[in-house]
Amino acid sequence: MKMSTTLKALSFAAAAALAPLAAPQAQAAGTVTVAVAIDPGSWDPIDTFLVDWSSVGNNIFDGLTARGPDMKLKPGLATSWEFLDNNSRIRFKLRENVKFHNGEPFNADAVKFTFDRLLGDEGKKGPQQSNYNSIDHVEVVDPNTVDFVMKQADPVLLTKLAGYGAMIVPPKYLQEKGDEYFNTHPVGTGPYKFVSYEPKVSINLEAFPEHWAGTPKLDKVVFRMIAEANTQIAELQAGRIDIATQIPFGLAPTVEKDPKLSLISITGPTVVALRLNTKNGITKDVNVRKALIMGIDREAIIKAVLLGHGKPIASFQADLSFGYDPNLKPLPFDLAKAKQMLQQAGVQPGAPVKIDFRGNEATFREVAQAAAGFLQALGLKPSLQPYEPPVLLNDIIPNGKTGEAWHNAWGGWTFDYDNTAYLMYHSGEKWNPYDKDPKLDALLEKQRSIYDVKEREKLLQEVARYVADQALEIPLYNQNTIFGVNKRLKNFEPPSDRRFRFTDVTVE
Amino acid sequence: MAGFIFKRLLQAIFVILAVTLIVSFAIRLSGDPAVMLAGGSNITEKDLQNIRQALGLERPFIVQYLTFLKGLLVGDFGRSFMGGTSVSLLISKALPATLLLAFTSLLISILLSVPLGVYAAVNRGRWPDQLIRIVSLVGLSFPNFWLAIMMVLFFSITLGLLPPSGMEGPESFIMPALTMAIILTATNVRLVRTSMLETLSQQYIMVARSKGLRDRVVLYKHALRNSAIPLVTYIGLQFGGLVGGIVIVERVFNWPGMGTLAFDAISGRDYPVLQGTITVLALFIVLINLMVDIAYGLIDPRIRTE
Repeated sequence: MKMSTTLKALSFAAAAALAPLAAPQAQAAGTVTVAVAIDPGSWDPIDTFLVDWSSVGNNIFDGLTARGPDMKLKPGLATSWEFLDNNSRIRFKLRENVKFHNGEPFNADAVKFTFDRLLGDEGKKGPQQSNYNSIDHVEVVDPNTVDFVMKQADPVLLTKLAGYGAMIVPPKYLQEKGDEYFNTHPVGTGPYKFVSYEPKVSINLEAFPEHWAGTPKLDKVVFRMIAEANTQIAELQAGRIDIATQIPFGLAPTVEKDPKLSLISITGPTVVALRLNTKNGITKDVNVRKALIMGIDREAIIKAVLLGHGKPIASFQADLSFGYDPNLKPLPFDLAKAKQMLQQAGVQPGAPVKIDFRGNEATFREVAQAAAGFLQALGLKPSLQPYEPPVLLNDIIPNGKTGEAWHNAWGGWTFDYDNTAYLMYHSGEKWNPYDKDPKLDALLEKQRSIYDVKEREKLLQEVARYVADQALEIPLYNQNTIFGVNKRLKNFEPPSDRRFRFTDVTVE
Repeated sequence: MAGFIFKRLLQAIFVILAVTLIVSFAIRLSGDPAVMLAGGSNITEKDLQNIRQALGLERPFIVQYLTFLKGLLVGDFGRSFMGGTSVSLLISKALPATLLLAFTSLLISILLSVPLGVYAAVNRGRWPDQLIRIVSLVGLSFPNFWLAIMMVLFFSITLGLLPPSGMEGPESFIMPALTMAIILTATNVRLVRTSMLETLSQQYIMVARSKGLRDRVVLYKHALRNSAIPLVTYIGLQFGGLVGGIVIVERVFNWPGMGTLAFDAISGRDYPVLQGTITVLALFIVLINLMVDIAYGLIDPRIRTE
């Protein structure tokens, strides 16, 4: 019959179509390719507040200060700074002979322009302004000196100047080309300059030889936007990207097993807790809250669900965070004692504990299920309520409509407990729908006015201790930042906050 | 014909209005883009207000919707909330990517399913027919994302032959198009087979055979042409399903198309981008249906005269 030849021909054609394909091209020498999840759409520092922006932007731009993977604050475009007029004025000496990628000189006017823009109408449209509201305005003293005139004290400011909205932008370029052009053709003073950008696909950078800290070692850095974690890992395994930034815990072993790749798992900024309802339900009683903490084996959850990529916490911050107290230990897991405490508090067996959580987080869903298992073992009746994240964050939490416990995940790039603690525990804040504690408020307000590092640290530690004492939350864990990295990368220092800076990296 | 097209255009306008209204309304129930933009960072309610104002979200829904419609008339879909990129620009890049992938998939599927379906019909009840039916049933039961991941594992990671994602050269089409095509083919083979069987039992086929025409002519000229009507209808309808199914395949293969755009827009609550993509897709599906109707006339002259 004739058809059989057709069939043969078809299968032959299919085989022939696949055969001549060259293997996917390997990485060019001197080029590093990184996969990020989201395209911010604009590379202007003040338009968004996305980690993926900073993974790219930290290579294009510089701040007055800088902070690398070691978490130490270093001089950036400013070489030194001093506090004047009773801390109401901070004077920065600027680095000389620095150029933007377009040749424009960096000077005091550029700093003033950057902050006028951030604090003015342009900044108002984006999410960055509120981070810098403590600054009243910037004054030019001479071409290489600026004064930051403060509206209120802000001890975290120097850290905040190292990233995101405080990155210095070129005034002449922006005035000539306009804001919209700048969004897709960014120019900064950083080690890599912008080459091309294809929305939702990739952004390409190349070395800026005149960078003030010396020519970077790589020729090119390419960032590809790949949202799906599985796809990032496939690209990594195929050798087409060098760094994958989306590695779910469950897929970490896949990367670990591959001989060409290494899995990097380091302390990250994200902390996770179950915040407790102090107004309604059995969690009204501080002893019950403590019993719930002791009844949940957090170490076991980290081992089983996070596959070990996390650490137990005693307060809502990572150990890298300013305000962390190594002497504050988490309450131990002790089921018998927890049961006894519940009994003493008069909690009836089968009392309900509802856990509200962000339904899109697969990992936390498992964590919540494990926690519910432990609560059940305490004789309680746990239930899980998943929500669409915006509904939970904009309605359920701020309006005090939660169950006994809710999912709190937090991770500030500043690694300063101030930001977290103030928003979480100060009266009237959106994340704090149930408590009004004048003592805690006073502590939180006081530390905001103190520049003395030691004294402020002590106060923040006191806040953490107080919160732990009141058992406002069940601190669960600090989860690691995980990268999958091709072994051909040398001198790669992984940043906890994913703000890469490829100045010293080389490739084989 | 002109009257028919005019009627269809009116219908299209109604469909677009209904779809955009529902989409615009529904996504506004689901969360605040200002909060998404801030990424859960340290931001006060006052700053959120400022962002909402800048995005034009403080205006009543009906005003926002009418502004969108007004822009639509001049082909302006507004700007993305994420970075202010023009939505028309995003769509102008994403639509060709999706259409190219969809058409390639459809083409592969037709090339596979027509000969296979005919072959199965001719050998009805014998082992080639059974085999084709069983294989297509298996193909039908695969979820496409699973198929996609398996293909990536095999062709990209084990063999190192094909790029696992992205749209670069022609080779980057193979896996995404095959993923879509295999599932389409599974249904189409069965459709061709059934439709062919029905036609083959008609008297005119018997006449054709008894005239002494060759097998090939009887099958492809007389039978296939007559069984093409349900096939064309189905393929047209499939296109709508294809565009829906493509969202998952695009995500797995990181294909820079409409599916990826819509997916990102939903997760980022990027109203203008979502409204834009849905409108264009709806328009496209309406257009395809219109083309299907016109294609009927070309295949079957009886419909033309009616």
